[in-house]
Amino acid sequence: MAIPYYLMVGLLAYFVILPVAGVVLYGAFPFESLQYLLESAGRSLPFLGRSLFIAFFVTGFSVAVGLAASIALWRFEFRGRRLLRYAMVLPMINPPFVGSIAFIMLFGKRGLITHALLGLSVSPFGWVGIAVMEILSLSALAYLIISSSVVKIDTSIEDAARNLGTPEPVIFRGITLRSMAPEISAAAVLVFLASMADFGTPLIIGGAYQTLASDLYIQITGLYDMRSAAVSGTLLLLPCMLLFAVQRRLVKKKNYYAMGIANPDIVYRHYSRPLRRVLTGMAGLYGFMVTMKYLFIVIGAFTRQWGYDYAPTLFHMRTVLERDFSPFLNSIQLAFFSAFFASMAGVLLSYMIKRKDFRLKRTADLVATLPAAVPGILMGVGYLVAFKYPIMGIGRFWMREMPPLILLGTGIIIYLICIFRYMNVGLRTGYALLEHLNPNIEEAARNLGQTEGKIFSEIALPLMAPAFGSAFFKNFSTTMTTLGAIIFLLLPSNKVAVQQIFQIITSSAMGVAAAMALLLSLVTAVMLAVFRIINAKLLRIKQ
Amino acid sequence: MKRYLWILMALVMVFSFAGCQAAQEEAPAAEETPAAEETGVFEGDGWSSAHYTPDMAGTELNLYGVTDKVRPILDIFEADTGIRVEHLTMKNGEILQRLENEYDSGVVIADLWFTGGADTFINAAENGLLLQYESANGSDLDDVMKDPNHYWYGTSLTLVNWVVNKDLIAEKNLKMPETWEDLLQEGLMDEVSMSNPASSGTAYNVVSAILQTKGEEAGWAYLDQLIAQVPFFTARGSDPANMVVNGEAIVGINASNGDRDLEINNAHIKLVYPKDGTGWWPQPAAIIKGTKNEDAAKVFIDWIISKRGMQVTAESRYAAVARDDIEIPEGIVDIKDIALFPTDFQANAVKRDAILEEWAKHLENK
Repeated sequence: MAIPYYLMVGLLAYFVILPVAGVVLYGAFPFESLQYLLESAGRSLPFLGRSLFIAFFVTGFSVAVGLAASIALWRFEFRGRRLLRYAMVLPMINPPFVGSIAFIMLFGKRGLITHALLGLSVSPFGWVGIAVMEILSLSALAYLIISSSVVKIDTSIEDAARNLGTPEPVIFRGITLRSMAPEISAAAVLVFLASMADFGTPLIIGGAYQTLASDLYIQITGLYDMRSAAVSGTLLLLPCMLLFAVQRRLVKKKNYYAMGIANPDIVYRHYSRPLRRVLTGMAGLYGFMVTMKYLFIVIGAFTRQWGYDYAPTLFHMRTVLERDFSPFLNSIQLAFFSAFFASMAGVLLSYMIKRKDFRLKRTADLVATLPAAVPGILMGVGYLVAFKYPIMGIGRFWMREMPPLILLGTGIIIYLICIFRYMNVGLRTGYALLEHLNPNIEEAARNLGQTEGKIFSEIALPLMAPAFGSAFFKNFSTTMTTLGAIIFLLLPSNKVAVQQIFQIITSSAMGVAAAMALLLSLVTAVMLAVFRIINAKLLRIKQ
Repeated sequence: MKRYLWILMALVMVFSFAGCQAAQEEAPAAEETPAAEETGVFEGDGWSSAHYTPDMAGTELNLYGVTDKVRPILDIFEADTGIRVEHLTMKNGEILQRLENEYDSGVVIADLWFTGGADTFINAAENGLLLQYESANGSDLDDVMKDPNHYWYGTSLTLVNWVVNKDLIAEKNLKMPETWEDLLQEGLMDEVSMSNPASSGTAYNVVSAILQTKGEEAGWAYLDQLIAQVPFFTARGSDPANMVVNGEAIVGINASNGDRDLEINNAHIKLVYPKDGTGWWPQPAAIIKGTKNEDAAKVFIDWIISKRGMQVTAESRYAAVARDDIEIPEGIVDIKDIALFPTDFQANAVKRDAILEEWAKHLENK
């Protein structure tokens, strides 16, 4: 397995380091003066402060909601539990951009709730709106990751402690929470990064409160200044890298294993009633708000003038259905292939890093995870400036006359960026799963004389399959709605649906935008359902 | 299982190199189309081109633009000439960045650029990204509607107007604004929405036009007062109209084709063209330097500024256009009824950095 591993490391270096380094160097060179760099960086510092503030706030809230919901929905029994589980994952197929517009129409100066109901006239623009929207969409991510650990908890350890007379709070803190620690910290990191890189939300409801990521977008699209954008992009990278280092340090030293993968009897009967109410209430409130947001978008798609005239109409839907459908097909194709390769490569890499004795493991991990810390638009710029040269980027200083080997302008480049950008999701889910898988099983097989290939295919791979599945689902739905990374690389002949929605939003046709976003969500949901069925069938055959 | 892994890796490799292969095969396919014979000018129905030959049918061109509304125009162009045009919609800045980098690498993705801010076209022309082309049909356009160096030609007109929320004007008992001075009335404090001139062509056009008509001193004095009325400057030119439609602001400074769509679709909205003049610019069309389909691209330029092309543009974009021999579709404001600021696009493009720097200073003093 050494050769595939080093090949993968090589590809990673090529398609991650080269573009990211490309952006950083693009900002700094040709080196004019330190003064220029400092000025650019100084201009961006206030934006960085805002980004950090929002990111910490959102991370705290989202992880709390995700944790509460994970416990409430998997370890308590109450009516409507199954329904609520579905509501929790709704944001995974979030209709892009229109959620923020729904917020304005509900809580704005003329908002349904603030104005029509409460008679207030407050501006919805500002950091509260950004934070609320991000919490609404990112708590689902936290929930998905954390809940995957809940079902793997070995309750016999809890019972053992209980039998020895340990008080419940100590059990909770010392065992339950601690065995969920890898997922909780992974969730926190991902939520933090997603918030740092989000430029759409601040752009639509930030008003004067723009963050570093949205300012970056404005610098490129409005000010035509890619160099200063590259400088602030570099600034955005630093805290994200720092966070990785911290998380790795915290989780690395402790190992927690559980033998079973799915524990059927995890219902927890010992929580105090008030705590139970609080946790269930939090999950319920979140599920309710997410559902309301969706409903309101549905209303926007089927009424005459969203926010003003709620007479029902099919006009917007008809407008959308009359449009050319090829962007939708392009989206599905892109999402399917890149999610498949990204998830597969990510999960395999996680296994090779954690369970094998290769060199450069820390580097490989860092490089594969790096794209998560790079805002999509910055990565897109990186691909633009790195792969515009022949021989896929390295022929920059020689062989200028070899246009056929230039990646830019080919259809393949958007696949590459999506694969390498989302490989880290497979890597994370792989790690999270491996944290719970005891390597002794493989050791045992090895001691019994089994070959490495068999150990991998018969033991590791089946155990890793769920990690591939969840990474694939996540990657598929993310790629369906991703825009920043590919906006600079799309060709006129392979446009994707989300880019169309972004265009419609700017043309004041909110109903059409809502209808189209809804349709994209629906397509994503249907595709995910199909994959889920296939996945379940395949898993059954294997067992 | 090891074998499967290998196959997988091989697939990834094949997959990534297939792209290069494909590009290799495509390159010869995109050979230059044979140059049109210089002797004859092709006469179509309402259009003419010295570069058109019927064997161009089936040629495919790529086009960058800032609006999806060009699609119907491109479809009619295909019906007339057989030349298919694929379009991709982006923001002005994105197009400019892409063109710069694509030119740098010698990869030409787009052959044409149609719609956008006049200042971005001028910027691109100065950076050598556009191809000079003197179309025989260009003489039908007024001098202000085209580039003196033949880099671009104006097509439909974009007019700056105000999107006003009638309901809120009535509710707050305000005077319906008619002149730029009216925007300064007390009741509109924090209720005027405008985009950031640094990132929006619409707002920059307004600022430069006001400075040009009122003169530097009076212009900045007016702008200072206007700045005080605006709660924050939005990132995109399209935001103010959306804010007014949603009731988040009462007056929004907006760019339009001259159509009345917003008014028709929203009972609470009124479109106002200021009586004392307003900003405007022609939506340019240009050929990208390095195009492998130069003749077909020239046919597009010839066609779009011909009577036929402009008529199609006027009807499908529902817009006022740069030619004056076109029947204006019903519902479009007649340009003759609107006071237009005299505008020097070249000067505005040149002074952009200086004006924006000054603007930033005035914003700080707010």
